Amino acid sequence: MDLPGLDAIVTLRSSVSQLAPSEAEELTAEERALDWWSLAAIAPAIIILLGFLFLFFYGVFQSLTDLRFGRPLVHFVGLSNYAVLIKTEDFWNSVRATFVYAGSAVLIEALFGLALAKLFATEVLLARLMRAVILLPLVLPPMSVALMWTTMMDPQNGIMNYLLSLAGVGRFAWISDPSTAMISLVLIDVWTYTPFFALIIFAGLQGINEEVREAARVNGAKGWASFLYIELPLIAPYILIAAVFRLIESLNQFDIIFGTTQGGPGNSTAVLSVRAYVTAFQNLAFGRGAALMVVNWILVLVATFAMVKLWRFVRNRVI
Amino acid sequence: MPRTFAVFRGYSIKLARNALFCSTLFAGTVLAFQQAEADDVNWRQFEGTSIVWAYDIHPYADAVAAQLPEFERLTGIKVAPELYPDDAYWNKLTIQLSTKSPSWDVVGTGIQPAWDLAPGQLLEPLDGYLNDPKLTAPSYDYKDFFPALRNALTWKVKEGQIEPGSGHVWAIPHGFENIQLFYRKDILDKYGIKVPTTPPEMSDACAKLKAADPTITPLGVRGVRFWSSIHTAAISIAKSYGVHDFVLKDGHLDTGLDSPESITFHKDYVDMIKKCAAPSFANDNWYQVVDGISSGRTAMAIDSNMFGFWNDVAGKPASGKIAFAPPLHAPNDKNFESNIWIWSLAMNAASKKKGAAWLFIQWATSKQVELNGATAGKLVNSPRASTWTDEAWLEYAAKPEFNNFVDTFKAVQGRAELAFTARVGFAEAMNAWAVAMQKMVNGADVKATLTELASEIRSSM
Repeated sequence: MDLPGLDAIVTLRSSVSQLAPSEAEELTAEERALDWWSLAAIAPAIIILLGFLFLFFYGVFQSLTDLRFGRPLVHFVGLSNYAVLIKTEDFWNSVRATFVYAGSAVLIEALFGLALAKLFATEVLLARLMRAVILLPLVLPPMSVALMWTTMMDPQNGIMNYLLSLAGVGRFAWISDPSTAMISLVLIDVWTYTPFFALIIFAGLQGINEEVREAARVNGAKGWASFLYIELPLIAPYILIAAVFRLIESLNQFDIIFGTTQGGPGNSTAVLSVRAYVTAFQNLAFGRGAALMVVNWILVLVATFAMVKLWRFVRNRVI
Repeated sequence: MPRTFAVFRGYSIKLARNALFCSTLFAGTVLAFQQAEADDVNWRQFEGTSIVWAYDIHPYADAVAAQLPEFERLTGIKVAPELYPDDAYWNKLTIQLSTKSPSWDVVGTGIQPAWDLAPGQLLEPLDGYLNDPKLTAPSYDYKDFFPALRNALTWKVKEGQIEPGSGHVWAIPHGFENIQLFYRKDILDKYGIKVPTTPPEMSDACAKLKAADPTITPLGVRGVRFWSSIHTAAISIAKSYGVHDFVLKDGHLDTGLDSPESITFHKDYVDMIKKCAAPSFANDNWYQVVDGISSGRTAMAIDSNMFGFWNDVAGKPASGKIAFAPPLHAPNDKNFESNIWIWSLAMNAASKKKGAAWLFIQWATSKQVELNGATAGKLVNSPRASTWTDEAWLEYAAKPEFNNFVDTFKAVQGRAELAFTARVGFAEAMNAWAVAMQKMVNGADVKATLTELASEIRSSM
């Protein structure tokens, strides 16, 4: 049987097999030479990363001990710090407060940020002027923001109640009452971080090709429909990526809460990060404080994974 | 013309006052210098050293800081003060000492925080320095400090717990405070309000004040969720109700915060706070209490007596308007109780400049520096008996603008003592009490909250 093609295939296969090792050998030698340089270049990053990991795992280790300030001996207690925590009502109250704070702040900021970004995208003179001004809260140190708002929210002498009184609204307790403290803190967070959302979403809106809008208009889409069915799906990945960053930050928020209420009144705003700090550095129970920090870290991790998954899903749909 | 004359007269009075203050301070420092020179301790043995002294932002710190150039001239040691706001200072102190950082050499502390600091060997025992003739001048006279203060700062650590009464000296008293009720005489006189003596009387007085002027906060008290809000009004009044933070039960320490006496006290106290305190009670620290009384937005306050004194100093807006009374007591008890707080100087065990640090502590708590601080109207409650017999201080404190400060001090000091039980774990238990207090003021059931608090404290013992 004359099978010329077979010969050709055999020849081709053999030539590939003959060529492949020598080419691979050449690449490996080159790669080896490059590896040392690459390794040297990334070594500081690796060292820093290992340092961070060491500190993190040291924190995890501390959470498994009965480490207390002033006690010279430290014992390994396994998971008992966690077991003690989950049995207390205060712990679950802190988990709830953490999610309520972060969830409401991020949601409201996303909505306000979207509205502001849409406003910025217009050519209205005031909107153009506001673009720079609106970023001011973002550049203030969070602790200064906290102190400023504490003064403004003073129920007796604060300017907030004065402004409300001009509108005929009675005295509001703000951060001094457990029923209004959380709302007040969310308001401070919204005031501070809405510009972050506005900035990211505005960048997303600027990135939409004008031809897409034009095509929608040609097909009869009016302003609202064009926003809802064309712009919103296209900027959804931007909103979600901003939400990921803000969610991580809000779940860890410390400065604004500690600087205003310190977790009070009672335990109404005692989010996990504040409770961890108070337990470790005011109650001097470092072991239990470390356990709270680890729990907070797990919550941040889970929430972030969920958000990133959602972001990928939305991005794939858009693309 | 009369206006010009009045301005001139005001200027002259101010000038004369400043001249008098400067000459007193100068005479004092010269005396201190002469006294130091006469001592046989070599003040220049650590010349060229630099040390860091950390403290709360506080007039007591100002009193010492104003005299620092004299110390630097005397010893050749440079002192860098690091002063922080109250809450931040205590947190930073914990972190600095627990990490065994040598960056702070001398720190300001009170007895209660020192209970938590000493067992971890974070503070340097000072008796060795006190008893070393090469380091301590004979004229230092440690026994001149009030015995109650010396005893409170002396204890030994046994099996990780505090055993007061004997042992090492952990800090040197630098100024102390007793808890009093001080009030705006002008406001109470205007509305014909009698100075209350019990929480129910206070509640009634507050109702009258609110009815007369709704813009006035009747009573200023600390309410932050930190032990500092317990150690003033709450613990002093609670003690007169028979409340003890800890009691001995069958040879073991147990909390007494869920006792029947405690429930009675908390019901009265919470009712009083609801009727009298500012709506911002949960966020109020001593800064807000002092601001209220000095501005006249608050009529009365229960806190450290020196806050009233500082605002009575000539030239201050409230000068002469603040008078003093003992703290409130239980309705069925004739006697009041007053907690004390001792601002003290301690040495960081991790300091690398302990000799220089000790010379600074010794100088800052010396008779003359204490007296200079007192007569400057800053270091009000000197811990040294010699200050209280010194004509210069007594004459100054008896000025009419201070009203009944000296008399009330003497009356209260007779019953003033540390109201807390000496133990490691003070901060955790008392912080929990402060949080429970906020919950009760916000409407939580008193008995149930105290049961929960006691259980929390027991679980951490």
